[in-house]
Amino acid sequence: MPPVFNEKCTACFKCVEICPCDVLREGDGKPEVAYPEECWHCGSCMMDCPADAVRLELPIWMRPVTKRVK
Amino acid sequence: MAAINAADHGAKVAIMEKSHTERSGAAGTGNDHFWFYDPEIHAGRGWTIPDMVRDISFDGEYGKTKEGLMDQGLLEIVAEGTKEAVDNLESWGVKFRYNEIYPWNLQYDAPEGEKRYRIVPQFQSEWDTLNYDGRDIKKRLTEQCLKRGVEIYNRVSGTGLLTSEGRVVGATGVHMRTGEFHVFEAKAVIMATGMDQTRLFRAQSGNWFNSQSPPYITGDGEAMALRAGAEVFILQAGKTRNAGFQYFRNLSRSSGTATTCYPAGRFVNSEGETVIRHPAVREPLRKCRENVEQSIREGKTPFYLDWTDATEEEIRYAEWSYGNEGLCWVILEIIKDLGLDFRRDAFELELEPTGRLTGGFLALFIDTDCRTSVPGLYACSPVQFAGEVAAPTYVVLGWRSGKKAAEYAMEAAESPLDEGQVKSEAARVTASLKEEEGHPWQEVNTELNNIMEEYKGYVAGWSLPGEKAEISRTGLENCIAQLEKLKEYKMRAGDPHELVRCNEVINLIDIGIMMVKAALEPEQYEGGFWFLGRLVEGEPEFRKTPIVIKYPSKEEA
Repeated sequence: MPPVFNEKCTACFKCVEICPCDVLREGDGKPEVAYPEECWHCGSCMMDCPADAVRLELPIWMRPVTKRVK
Repeated sequence: MAAINAADHGAKVAIMEKSHTERSGAAGTGNDHFWFYDPEIHAGRGWTIPDMVRDISFDGEYGKTKEGLMDQGLLEIVAEGTKEAVDNLESWGVKFRYNEIYPWNLQYDAPEGEKRYRIVPQFQSEWDTLNYDGRDIKKRLTEQCLKRGVEIYNRVSGTGLLTSEGRVVGATGVHMRTGEFHVFEAKAVIMATGMDQTRLFRAQSGNWFNSQSPPYITGDGEAMALRAGAEVFILQAGKTRNAGFQYFRNLSRSSGTATTCYPAGRFVNSEGETVIRHPAVREPLRKCRENVEQSIREGKTPFYLDWTDATEEEIRYAEWSYGNEGLCWVILEIIKDLGLDFRRDAFELELEPTGRLTGGFLALFIDTDCRTSVPGLYACSPVQFAGEVAAPTYVVLGWRSGKKAAEYAMEAAESPLDEGQVKSEAARVTASLKEEEGHPWQEVNTELNNIMEEYKGYVAGWSLPGEKAEISRTGLENCIAQLEKLKEYKMRAGDPHELVRCNEVINLIDIGIMMVKAALEPEQYEGGFWFLGRLVEGEPEFRKTPIVIKYPSKEEA
């Protein structure tokens, strides 16, 4: 469940500070998703990460349905 | 904006913020559009502020859907304040003017060498909406607050208003991570808690946290004001008349179907036939529903948002808009991760069922000085109907409420807090944390949704669109009985975070009870679908007849 933190994370915890839904907490060396069901997938953690260490992994049922045109 | 201007008028200001001021609310991850009036641009085009207000609330394509039921007095104040708001935001580092202006922007004369606004049409008859770099607008506002010495209490969720002899003298809150109970002594309080009571009704997506509006905007401020006796505005549930689109399929985000994809997007049916050329306002969705409905009749569904015929320049502009609109920057990142591209892929849209029952909402009722009916309590959001032009309303009324509240505070007498009131509030809002047994907040919230879904049917009717059904008094009375019983269930919070979620649900139940009781007022119902009422000794009292604020149409004027 989102967000996912990669090896670039410096444990600055900016994401924990600003998460609008309050789903993140300081973990051991990197942020932890304490309330995964309450993630709004707003992307604030990605936007404000100074190390480009966060990606969002959408649950299958939230992924847009598309059709390849070109 | 309220805090900044209150500080500029000499007040000592503290902000209680449940989230974090840098990224909170619907504009937390940005805003790319701003309804505005600039006399230097619009007066020369024969467009006045009354024209603008009449258009959005009465005469224009969008206004016709509102049937005049918007507060034109407030809207006029909002329109008048937009230029000053833009100038202020610009001086604080929000970029509004550009060297590059495109064919799809309003072309207007500007002094040589001066950068120009990117003006686009939106829901109005005139070009009066700015596109701008609004992604970090909340950060810029936070910086200005800190520069003025405003104390910011992030993660403190407002719980109650403290009153003395009928006026507001303070407020309380609880910290979402520590559980600490906060007490603020204040001569004036401004509610700026945002539109919607997001988890009052069942989520359209089926999941509370897959929503366009922030899932943590749960009417806390409105419930606080309601319990303090403030008069509130209630919009009853309604019914959509036509088929249309709301979001990308599965993903309830802003602007899959709104104007953020202007000028690149068009809506196509399953055969690739264009149903709507692009989702800008000159071709509003409502006007093009015949095309949508014809495709449905012919079985040419689903529908898609398709940018693939757009030029690279148009796509880059639309992507820039996405990058600045709330919840949309992340869409660009998500589709990149999923290997998708607006240049090659069409995105399926969620089709809204005809006659879908929509929920209502409750807001504070204010006068043109942003005063509520309780002395010392001011509000800028949510307030009656003016929220239809959300961003400028909150910016302009925020600014105005800050000034008015500061002026009031300078004159108001000192009033000591009632210790008994503080203790009683502390016990009430921390109760769930102390319970050894109780229901999780999700269980109670789910049942609240079930009851409110029933209410929607009883008040808006189960019949087909266009057929008026009588309200079911028995059904509504059953809803009230169920809501009151629901309020008696104990909830248990495992930590302070869950405690705040429990308190949100209690606030939502209080709002639900008020909303359903309003629906039982036949005089109000016959007059339309909005109500003014307040709690008197715990029971609602409604104005005998609804107040209808109707601005005259241009012909009548």
